[in-house]
Amino acid sequence: MTQLLQVHELSKSYGSHKAVNSITFELGEGTSTALIGPNGAGKTTTLSMLAGLVAPTNGSILFRGKPKPDIRASIGYLPQYPKFFPWLTALEFTEMAAVLSGVEKRRALSEAKKTLEFVGLGDSMKKRAGTFSGGMKQRLGLAQAIVHEPELLLLDEPVSALDPVGRRQVMNLLKELQQKTTILYSTHILNDAEEMTDQLLFLRKGVLVENGSLDSIREKYANPRVLIEFESVIEAERFTAISPWAVRVEKKQVSIDAVEEKVGTSEVLALLHTESLHIRKVELQTASLEDIFMKVAVEE
Amino acid sequence: MSSLNALLRKEWRENVRNFKLYWIPIVFVIFGILEPITNHFLPEIMKSVGNLPEGTDFVWPKFRGEDIFVSLMGQYQIIGILVIILAFMGSISGERKTGTATLLYVRPMSFSQYFLSKWIVVNVIVLASVWLGFLAAWYYIRILFNPVAAGEVFAFLGTYSLWLIFAVTVVLSLSAWMPTGGTAGLSILILLVFQVLDGIIGTYWTISPWKLSTYALNAFGASVDQSDFWMSVGLTIIFIVLLVFFGMYMAKRNAAKTLV
Repeated sequence: MTQLLQVHELSKSYGSHKAVNSITFELGEGTSTALIGPNGAGKTTTLSMLAGLVAPTNGSILFRGKPKPDIRASIGYLPQYPKFFPWLTALEFTEMAAVLSGVEKRRALSEAKKTLEFVGLGDSMKKRAGTFSGGMKQRLGLAQAIVHEPELLLLDEPVSALDPVGRRQVMNLLKELQQKTTILYSTHILNDAEEMTDQLLFLRKGVLVENGSLDSIREKYANPRVLIEFESVIEAERFTAISPWAVRVEKKQVSIDAVEEKVGTSEVLALLHTESLHIRKVELQTASLEDIFMKVAVEE
Repeated sequence: MSSLNALLRKEWRENVRNFKLYWIPIVFVIFGILEPITNHFLPEIMKSVGNLPEGTDFVWPKFRGEDIFVSLMGQYQIIGILVIILAFMGSISGERKTGTATLLYVRPMSFSQYFLSKWIVVNVIVLASVWLGFLAAWYYIRILFNPVAAGEVFAFLGTYSLWLIFAVTVVLSLSAWMPTGGTAGLSILILLVFQVLDGIIGTYWTISPWKLSTYALNAFGASVDQSDFWMSVGLTIIFIVLLVFFGMYMAKRNAAKTLV
């Protein structure tokens, strides 16, 4: 897999505040990467720097292995809250966007039409952007970002502001785009990240704290526990007394750290069986992405 | 070139759809019509509603058509310039503030073309408006006073247009540099307050863009020393060119200030 984008020790300071602090990562061609982190982690600043809107304080950005001062021709960028000239129609705006991004003038109009059809604004392309709803604006924003078929798509919170229906529709569009282009998008909604991600970049206070595939991060933070729920508190106490493993008791529930105690559900079930304790359920719990997020986001 | 075209089209559509293309010429034409009419009927008006004591005999100065042009330019120098400042002070700073500029700035667009597209369209609107205003006045002056020779009118308009281009360039380059409020304040200082200062203490120099309007009136036979007219024209053109480059540079430097 060739690297499309290599970011090396990228930093941005505003006065003494380090919005982005020396982050290093790579984007493989054709991959989808999620930039996640709590609000104020530096996601938008990172994307703005890549989009060429904000000059980095430090660090380098290599595009296809070469330092390009201006990669604006090769990227499509969707800001978190795209703002449109209210008096331009969707088609006029998208056509202008195409021309400004280097699409030949005679192809621009047909490309704009095609793109607006793709994002589902086929019926509204002659309407002015000022009359658009939030969902339509987001789709127009997507259209202007992809109309020139960029090699890299930068999306800042593409679905955060949408209702569940709009979110579903935009996610489906993104999945389709994923087949054709490299995507880097920021989000704080973990289900979205889970749905279409090859790589996760986790920012906290401007620092890249985790970088890897979803599975590898899952594994690292999985923290599996065997959870047993008993019929009564007395039975839970009886189990605690005889358990060869360290346990944590919470009323009727007892849990055991699976990794530290080197224990699985079968051993636990065997013991329960020989002691004929009455249980409601036994399960192996792993951390959800939300648990991981909480853990990484609030660590320290 | 095609991207300059696209930007010009965007500017044009903006000014058509927010009606600036209509109301600005209308304002200038209304002033252009009212000036000769009120001056012509002033004695009548004062007689009927002026509440002058019985028997007062007021000698009204006898205006020539040329004098009406002079007083109309006086109106445009204050109210007209103010209209230009208020209408276009947010041309660039406003786009940054609302964030509409973001989706332009992330494209491989040249900031020179961006600035130029605004400069061209605003100049076209302002020049067309002022010309229409003076032409309307010319028509009424011809009816109500005496015909003024076309050569004089166009000589005047030519010089006065250069001052207007200077004014537009000041407003746009400041808009590229500062937020809208600062643009308004500094534009008023440069275009209105300096005008007054130049009028008061300007006898010590003769070469200045602020004197262009006075030089322009020479076309109507006013007795102004013309010796430094061309120097003033040259200096104004230099100022315009420098301000255009300053505006282009500032538009680019301030790109990061756009709302994301």
